[in-house]
Amino acid sequence: MVSCRGFNREDKETTMELMKGDKIEVFRRSKDEAWEPYMDDFIGLHGFVTDPDTVINDPDALIEVSLQGRGTHRLPQDCLKVLV
Amino acid sequence: MAEKTCPVRKTIVYLSEQIRSGEITDPRARRIAEQILLLTEEIAEGSAGLDHLSAIDTLLEDYLSRPAANRALGDTLKKRISEHREVFFSHIESRNCPSHDCGKLAPSPCQMACPAGIDVPTYLALIAKGCHAEAIEVIRRDNPLPWVCGLICTRPCEMMCVRARIDTPISIKFLKAFAAERAMSERAYRNPDKKEPNGKRVCVVGAGPGGLSAAYYLALMGYQVRVIEALPVSGGMLMVGIPRYRLPREVIDREVAMIEDLGVQFSYNTRFGVDVTVEELKKEGVDAFFIAIGAHKAWELGIRGEKEFSKVLEAVAFLKGVALGEHHAPGRHVVVVGGGNVAIDAARTSLRLGAEKVTIAYRRSRSQMPADTDEVEQAEEEGIEFSFLTIPTQITGENGIITGLGCVKAELVKKKDSDRLAPVPIEGQEFTIKADAVISAIGQYVDDTGMEAFDKMNWSRRGTIEVNHASMETAMPGVFAAGDAVSGPATVIEAIGGGKRAAAAIDRYLNHIPQPRMPRIPVRHTIEPPVEMAASRKMSLKSPQMPMLNMDRRRTTFQQVELGYDEKSVRQEAGRCLRCDICRRCGKCVEICRDKMGIDALQLGYLDFDTPSATDFRATAEKCITCGACAANCENKALVIEEKEGQRRLKLCGTLLNSQAILYCERCNAILPSVEYLQFIAKKTGHVSKITEKRLLCNDCQRKMGARINGVLPRV
Repeated sequence: MVSCRGFNREDKETTMELMKGDKIEVFRRSKDEAWEPYMDDFIGLHGFVTDPDTVINDPDALIEVSLQGRGTHRLPQDCLKVLV
Repeated sequence: MAEKTCPVRKTIVYLSEQIRSGEITDPRARRIAEQILLLTEEIAEGSAGLDHLSAIDTLLEDYLSRPAANRALGDTLKKRISEHREVFFSHIESRNCPSHDCGKLAPSPCQMACPAGIDVPTYLALIAKGCHAEAIEVIRRDNPLPWVCGLICTRPCEMMCVRARIDTPISIKFLKAFAAERAMSERAYRNPDKKEPNGKRVCVVGAGPGGLSAAYYLALMGYQVRVIEALPVSGGMLMVGIPRYRLPREVIDREVAMIEDLGVQFSYNTRFGVDVTVEELKKEGVDAFFIAIGAHKAWELGIRGEKEFSKVLEAVAFLKGVALGEHHAPGRHVVVVGGGNVAIDAARTSLRLGAEKVTIAYRRSRSQMPADTDEVEQAEEEGIEFSFLTIPTQITGENGIITGLGCVKAELVKKKDSDRLAPVPIEGQEFTIKADAVISAIGQYVDDTGMEAFDKMNWSRRGTIEVNHASMETAMPGVFAAGDAVSGPATVIEAIGGGKRAAAAIDRYLNHIPQPRMPRIPVRHTIEPPVEMAASRKMSLKSPQMPMLNMDRRRTTFQQVELGYDEKSVRQEAGRCLRCDICRRCGKCVEICRDKMGIDALQLGYLDFDTPSATDFRATAEKCITCGACAANCENKALVIEEKEGQRRLKLCGTLLNSQAILYCERCNAILPSVEYLQFIAKKTGHVSKITEKRLLCNDCQRKMGARINGVLPRV
């Protein structure tokens, strides 16, 4: 286990695995500190995962998603769900 | 433009025209006009904050106080904003344009997907016409490194490409590389004109993609930029993290040289905080700092034996050594631990340096590998072996020499309350992979050495610099950051986008202009006319295959592996673009044709994002009557009906969906609808228009003839 600035990489677990190309919905506001107020505008939007955590499939990593009509942003995973 | 046009949109069009016309000759006045335009564009796109309108008022006062300013422009703007103030406020508060005028230049999905916001359809249209230098000019509005990105971008644009809903996405990345190479070869790859020096200085820490991007845009805005770089070369991870067989050094050097040509000063072998301090830079007159130090520190494997052998290497350090001149194989039997692109790069580099066998050990399955699938395939072709579901446990050896990597087989198990599959060791399934060198590639983090002087800057719990993503501004005034230092290890294009955003934010900060509420939505400036093509050709064109270097050279040299498309393939591929910048896929055309007209000639299943169905442009000609109902209701003029060379033609973004002969009234020679349309009307109107069954007559002549036939005079 490795850590950086007191952050333990295995501290958190989200419920879903997100892969490149997955179609997703921003279904709720994230509780993560990386959530900024303007991201409230994204709730309900659909898009694609364009760059998941590139190395270790870390459930806590911020991942890059492209949202329809709103551009590409890095979001915490706990606000995303995969659309089938 | 009609009077009904949204006043915000009207202001943008007016200001853009005035700035383009060159009538604002006073440099300061021109700059103010550009700042007003920027703020108005943000109001239009919904990213403005509440202080935007008051900032425009202040700028306008400033503009009108300039003796050399064009007064008519200032007065027009002031009048318009005063008359329509509530409409401007409504855009800011509702983030919506009631008349939808502000969405007419809405970016396409590929442009939206690009973290740098490159106007993809415009440059593809230019490439399709062979206008490579113009295409590069369009790309460099948002990305100063088109050649680099054309070779190594992770291409989120292609992920969102609407053409993929029909067959395969456009090869946007390779087309960009072709255009850059051709423009460079033709000596037509040029820097835009930069503004007059404004006397302000910005220090950029780090010459990676984020730093280069910020330096470029700041230099264009007239800032004096000094880039501090610890390495002896520019490019950051581009140069020392990406191997030369993917990205030749000359490509980076040529694009960096273009940035140097703008007057950007590079200080190499200079460690920030050690060789040069914030205090010294402030004494030099630096007004703002931009930090783009990347994420160069490698995570450790955390297994037994890791510290005992000199041949346990970190992938980033290994790749950096090779990039800077080290050309010895790390070992004969190399094992790389990890599943990302860095692991693939380390493995393929080891192979090229002469390793006999290279194995990538990854703890999850192939489908979960985060590395680019093309890179994985190419590695396999070259002979790299993969050991999936493999968890390293210890490095074994004797007398300082590694003999193997001890591993245990894993299975993927769902953890409690989670759908995420986690690798769990299977007891009793231990094994050893023969190795004399082990390279760890399990990720990197930000090295904060030298950042102590920025003591008011906050760091996230992930060890990254905290910024407001709308402005890339840290908690410390005048200090901005972007790239991997903010996002953690991420993509080159994301760093480039962040650098561009930070440059704009630094300019606003130093000119006391409010920052946007959210990151700006990409901006489009023009609509390039679409390439005309028959529906059958649009459907049948396929993406070309990438020619590759021969296998022996791939296994032994660092020559570029992907050799690039030829010009014919490039033009054809660019021609496959559906021009989603023109057609916004509202689906109104399909609904009208199917539900209102009852014809159902438009088989355009790709219009639906969530549930796309079959698309066939060729099918339109079978049923279409060229009535024009679809075109008449297309707000963006994506669908048009035109009459040309005796044919009435229906086109969707340049794709010819249907073409029918134009008919003429046999009495007065007036243009008539097509036979199919007349038959359609005849069926609908039945007895009323029986006369048209045998004769070609316009409405007027029909009425006259009908009256005569029925023995009554025509009504006047």
